[in-house]
Amino acid sequence: MSDAPDSKWVRVDDHRWRRLSRREFLKLAAAGAAGAGLAASRFGSITTFVRAQPRALRIMTWAHFVPWAYHPWFDNFAREWARSKSVEVTIDRVSFADIVPRATAEVAAQQGHDVYFFISPPSQFEPQVLDLADINREAERRYGPILPLVKDSTYNPHTRKWFGFSDNWVPDPGDYLKSAWAGVGYAQGPRTWEDLLTAGRRIKERFPNIQIPIGVGYSQDIDSNMATRAILWSFGASVQDKDANVVLNSEEAVKAVEWGARLFREAMTPAVMSWNAASNNQALEAGATAYILNSISAYRSAQQRRLPIASDIFFVPALRGPARALAATHVMGVWVIWRFSRAPDLAKEFLLHLLDNARESTLGSEMYNFPSYMGAAAEKATPVAQKPAEGLMWVQGRVRSDRFGSLPPDKLKVLADSLKWSANIGWPGVANPAEGEIFDTSVTADMFGKAATGQLTPKQAVEEASRRAKEIYTKWRQAGLVGGGGRDR
Amino acid sequence: MAQPNEAQPLVQLAAATFRRRTLADREGVLGRLLLAPAFLYVILVVGVPFVLAILLSFSAARSGSLSFSWVGLSHFSTIIADPQFQLTLRNTLVFTIASQVLVMILATAAANVLDAAFFGKRAVRMLILLPWAVPVSLAAMSWAWIFDSTFSVINWTLRASGLFQGWLYWLGDTELAMIAIIIVHVWRTFPFATVVVLAGMAAIPLEIREAAVIDGASFWRRLFQVNLPLLLPVVTVAVLFGVVFTSTDLSVVYLLTRGGPYNSTHVLASLAFQRGILGGDLGQGAAIALFLLPALVVVAIVMLRLARRAEVGA
Repeated sequence: MSDAPDSKWVRVDDHRWRRLSRREFLKLAAAGAAGAGLAASRFGSITTFVRAQPRALRIMTWAHFVPWAYHPWFDNFAREWARSKSVEVTIDRVSFADIVPRATAEVAAQQGHDVYFFISPPSQFEPQVLDLADINREAERRYGPILPLVKDSTYNPHTRKWFGFSDNWVPDPGDYLKSAWAGVGYAQGPRTWEDLLTAGRRIKERFPNIQIPIGVGYSQDIDSNMATRAILWSFGASVQDKDANVVLNSEEAVKAVEWGARLFREAMTPAVMSWNAASNNQALEAGATAYILNSISAYRSAQQRRLPIASDIFFVPALRGPARALAATHVMGVWVIWRFSRAPDLAKEFLLHLLDNARESTLGSEMYNFPSYMGAAAEKATPVAQKPAEGLMWVQGRVRSDRFGSLPPDKLKVLADSLKWSANIGWPGVANPAEGEIFDTSVTADMFGKAATGQLTPKQAVEEASRRAKEIYTKWRQAGLVGGGGRDR
Repeated sequence: MAQPNEAQPLVQLAAATFRRRTLADREGVLGRLLLAPAFLYVILVVGVPFVLAILLSFSAARSGSLSFSWVGLSHFSTIIADPQFQLTLRNTLVFTIASQVLVMILATAAANVLDAAFFGKRAVRMLILLPWAVPVSLAAMSWAWIFDSTFSVINWTLRASGLFQGWLYWLGDTELAMIAIIIVHVWRTFPFATVVVLAGMAAIPLEIREAAVIDGASFWRRLFQVNLPLLLPVVTVAVLFGVVFTSTDLSVVYLLTRGGPYNSTHVLASLAFQRGILGGDLGQGAAIALFLLPALVVVAIVMLRLARRAEVGA
């Protein structure tokens, strides 16, 4: 064993070497390592760890029902915003039918888009989204109160969470063919559900070329789910009460279903049992039906394709039943920001900017979208307290004088009062995951369909649907996302 | 001194053999290597989701939640008591059995026709194979228009030709909707079955068929007493494929009827999608989707054994 200190040889100059002590060796090694690290951090791959990521926002939205107008508007709007903020923006679109399946996949993978758009309240995803109380508060500060039916679609009072942010909603009037209705003595179209039945029978006799005199869907699609809710509400029934108790099993519901079965037998055909979301539009545009429950998209589509029938399509508000006149919103546009979003602040900024441009957005959709904060459609200089009334007046002015080629220009005037006859899914309570599941699995449409075709009596159909509704509510109550239950019927 | 001389060629041979022995010579390694991509693919794309689905079916998983809280067999007991599930299970069996019976009859007939020599045989073969090649989503969308309750081309043709003056609501009436679904399933799976049966017929020794002809056996006798018994193993495989494809298919029902009218035409896959994905109840959806799995495994084992027995017997 040598007594010499642990040392290494080191070159002093070209021709001279000397031994290096252990201390010197460690110092040199440490300095070398630090130098190498610095060099790598300037020139090498380590920079990827320390350099800031480019700001990017990934948006998932839907294939709008007025795509030729709204898609270019939205894309330009988002690109302009991105340019002004030095942000990279990606816009993806899915068909309305793929919105929920795609969202389910993103949640399961815990990755996808930063901000995601739904056309009905996505309350089942509440645990996976950020609480958007901050931007909803900010929107109220800028534009005054949110519309109540929108709040009931974006805020869960049971968990006290704003699970969504809405910039737009869409009313659901009745669309009718004026020539057919005038031919049976209803030149202004129907005003009550009873009118629908009476005139439907006459249209059937007088216009045999109209295959389906009245086109109210009882199938597994969104329009049918809205239509059957409108009938239930107008007859004084509902799936839940305002406290989330299941109250579907009622005399009013049985009467509504009995009436629905009569309408089917006397003025409709089995075609309405098979309709998808586009079928009623296609039937109206083909003159195969004289009345549908839909937004203005069927009309806009006929206009855009220059179909002669466009001039024959007119609108009526929600039909009055024994209890009231009420229709479900056709679309409730709700944005969510996932918990796994990589740019939540950017997403919030974008959503507020979208709301700031409510006028442009409404016009960009050819008056299909209505602002969720009416005040956002007011002149910017208007005092906040007056903005909601001012914004509403602006919207009413635009539908009373349609700038998109309607003849007469006031063809859309019934939409001016649409807030009075529109309600959220879940009315008289709020939207919740149980209502969402009942909607998405077509429980009420099936109830009407089974009674209409005689598979079950109206009473049996209501009892079966009520049983199914209670099962669904029980499950979501156990998950802690829905209240009520004490007064289930 | 002789020993090294004798050993030298052996050593040289061994060395040369060792030198030339490449991967292609090592069958064990090569086999595993070639199988690896398929094995990995099946594990990742089928195995992992399958295990996940089993786990989900025993959990209270929801679409908005990532938790896997264990609920045991509760989903299975719920769905068994559910009249909608019972109807769906019955529909699945009806669609599968009806379509496979029709497929085998049509495929056997078509294979016999294609086995004969005639002008344009190749073109006919290609046309028969087309439905198999068309993406199912596109095909189902075309069929949705063909059966559309308002614009059905079948109805217009029947009316225009004066054969039927009424109106068939193909997708709006439960019975007609079920017939429509069976027709599309038959249309989809019939080409594959035809090709399989045709291949089986080509494998029947010519002397056996000639002997039957020389013995004066009629066409039907040759079909039922010569060809079909010899075709049994291959027909079994075609039926097995057909049963699995039809009973687990989502696309045809979903694109044609979405389970309607009033949820009366659901099959297990479409009900699982409705409850699990659209309704958000992933656990129950998985339980519905997996319900038929044990039965399908048993069917597969029984049919493969039958086929093997028939083959050995032959």
